[in-house]
Amino acid sequence: MFRPTSAHRLAAASGAVALMLAACGGSSSDTTPASGSTVAGAPSWCGSKKITLGLTDGFGGNSWRLVTTAAAKNEISKCPSVTDFTYADGQGDTQKAISDIQGLVAKGVDALVVFPDAGNAILPALQSAKQAGVVTVPYRVNPGGKDGQDYDIWVGADFVTDGKNWANWITKNLPNGGNMLFLSGPAGNSQGLDERKGLESVLDPAKYKFIGARPFEVTNWDPAKTQQVLSAAIAKYPKIDVIVSDFGPSLVGALPEFAKSGRSIPALVTSDGNVLSCFWAKNKAANPDFKLFTVATGNDNARLAVDWAVALATGGTPPVAKVFDAPVFEDSVSSTPHPVTCKSNLPGDIYLSAQMPGEEQAKLLK
Amino acid sequence: MTTTTDAVPGAARRDRLLLSRGLATVLGALVLLILAGVVVAPSSVSSGAIQSALPFAAVLAIVALGQTLVVMQGGIDLSVPGSVSLVIVIITHEAYGDDSKVLPAALAALVVALGAGLVNGLLIGRLGLNAIVATLGTNALLYAVVLRISGGTPRQTTDLLAGVANGDVVGIPNAVLFATGATVVTTLVVKKTVAGRRFEAVGANGRAAWATGLKVQRHRAGGYVGAQVLYWLGGLLLAGILNKPTAYQGDAYLLASVAAVVLGGTSLLGGRGNLAATAVAALFLTQLDQFVLALGVDFAVKNLVQAAAFAIGVALYTIDWGFLRRKLSGSGGSAPVTATP
Repeated sequence: MFRPTSAHRLAAASGAVALMLAACGGSSSDTTPASGSTVAGAPSWCGSKKITLGLTDGFGGNSWRLVTTAAAKNEISKCPSVTDFTYADGQGDTQKAISDIQGLVAKGVDALVVFPDAGNAILPALQSAKQAGVVTVPYRVNPGGKDGQDYDIWVGADFVTDGKNWANWITKNLPNGGNMLFLSGPAGNSQGLDERKGLESVLDPAKYKFIGARPFEVTNWDPAKTQQVLSAAIAKYPKIDVIVSDFGPSLVGALPEFAKSGRSIPALVTSDGNVLSCFWAKNKAANPDFKLFTVATGNDNARLAVDWAVALATGGTPPVAKVFDAPVFEDSVSSTPHPVTCKSNLPGDIYLSAQMPGEEQAKLLK
Repeated sequence: MTTTTDAVPGAARRDRLLLSRGLATVLGALVLLILAGVVVAPSSVSSGAIQSALPFAAVLAIVALGQTLVVMQGGIDLSVPGSVSLVIVIITHEAYGDDSKVLPAALAALVVALGAGLVNGLLIGRLGLNAIVATLGTNALLYAVVLRISGGTPRQTTDLLAGVANGDVVGIPNAVLFATGATVVTTLVVKKTVAGRRFEAVGANGRAAWATGLKVQRHRAGGYVGAQVLYWLGGLLLAGILNKPTAYQGDAYLLASVAAVVLGGTSLLGGRGNLAATAVAALFLTQLDQFVLALGVDFAVKNLVQAAAFAIGVALYTIDWGFLRRKLSGSGGSAPVTATP
């Protein structure tokens, strides 16, 4: 849809007001009552000091975030030293995300786990939280700044490795080279840039050609935008050999565009999701070129961040890993480590690569 | 483009010219855009690209028709994002994975939409609140309900709704048929029924309409209710077109709908509505998106091209070309350097 810049800003501003008002009635808080004072039987990262913990999301509006937040809650529940837990959703509004952090600091939480969607814009809020003596652990998205100085530790995801994993699969399965279409989220997002770095570090530029916009096609991870971008690319490029995307499930609505043009869906390297796996199972017969390779979508990144925050605040032993490495999940060609797994009896909005079993994720969606 | 020769007087004649001006202009802009596509970005006019753009154009057209009704009453409706998002959330949550629940969920969404329209209508028509403030408030309420139902998390569309929204009849997408139907029905109601004529009269001049005994408040409120019904239809289609919509999917439609109304030539001050022109303008805006995508340029350049094309589109309609021409020829032999009046 057409969105001129200034008009967009107005829309954002009015949306912000709306969302802030809406949030007055909608912000949720959960309480995990402490059932015992000992940490016997608890994981090593769970120290004995009693703490309260806050978790803030920059944008909680999709099933991936729902499962990720649930994973974090599940991890927190393993440690009885965490006596109170509050969750806040920034709803895609940077200002709300910042005031959520400030609000939790004012409330007096001891530890704060933050998904800093807005990147650098969140850094000042993180700094003031750290200065107020709160153990501050941003995760997944890079907020800029330094560990120990602007916040305690950033538990990032290694998106460069994702890019390398994808590239290795492409080299193996399309040895003669080909045209690659790379889709990522909002313009300039660091995840997409890192993935591109990983891809380029492995692929031979003489054989593998990136088609479409540089460094990636902007989709905002929005299904409508993805559909538009993909259909434009299908019309423009008669030969697309592989699609690289960092949010596989958002492609499900768009991939049928290939059929409309009488072409086979090409190979797809991406992140996992039940809806995507089931889409593959249903469409592989009619689309001979449709091979699927996924890396874990990384819901458990939140667990590692919680482990760090709780360990630092309660005096437990911090984990060894500082970065979440998303493992390779499905490969429709080699079936290692897993064949493509579709659980058609479960909703599409679950992620079988996560630690939390699919059935439990499905319950969250009820 | 339109050639309005001022040598022809006659109220009726000018009236007819005015009536068709918005439509002619936006059609002209669309033709120009398509020609530009053929020359610069051929893939933007390939059948595949157009087939996939049409359903989105249809949704925007339907939503923009609703916005037109409100603008015809001199108002503006900022509750579009909340309304469209709420319909999508209701239909995807209440009918999750169960085709038999699609119809009840759609009806429930319609009831909510009518309620939102009545709230807007009451606040603005009856209590005389400013439209911007009132509809912004309603939008916040609607988003509160969106979050209440969904917790911000969307669901997947059922196969039935996806089938209806993505299907086609002899090659014409169903969504386009819905949009055409909505345009025809809305136009007929506004232009050919007594209530519709009164509605337009109230929008053009509320005091005069009141003096002739028309129920001004009721017509004002009616615009907001009618608009919500159209948002509801647009939301239903959008939920079907996108397999996995987000919970805030309506956000993109606020400014786009106002842009379509303005491009279609309906005055923001109210009065006569160019409903068909609004629908064509929606097609123009969607094709503009497709065009810049097909150009394959940098993201920043894409926005610039879009803004420029939009400015030209509006200029075609807003600038009084006849006046400009007279001004230029009136200045005689001296070279007209600038045309600033």
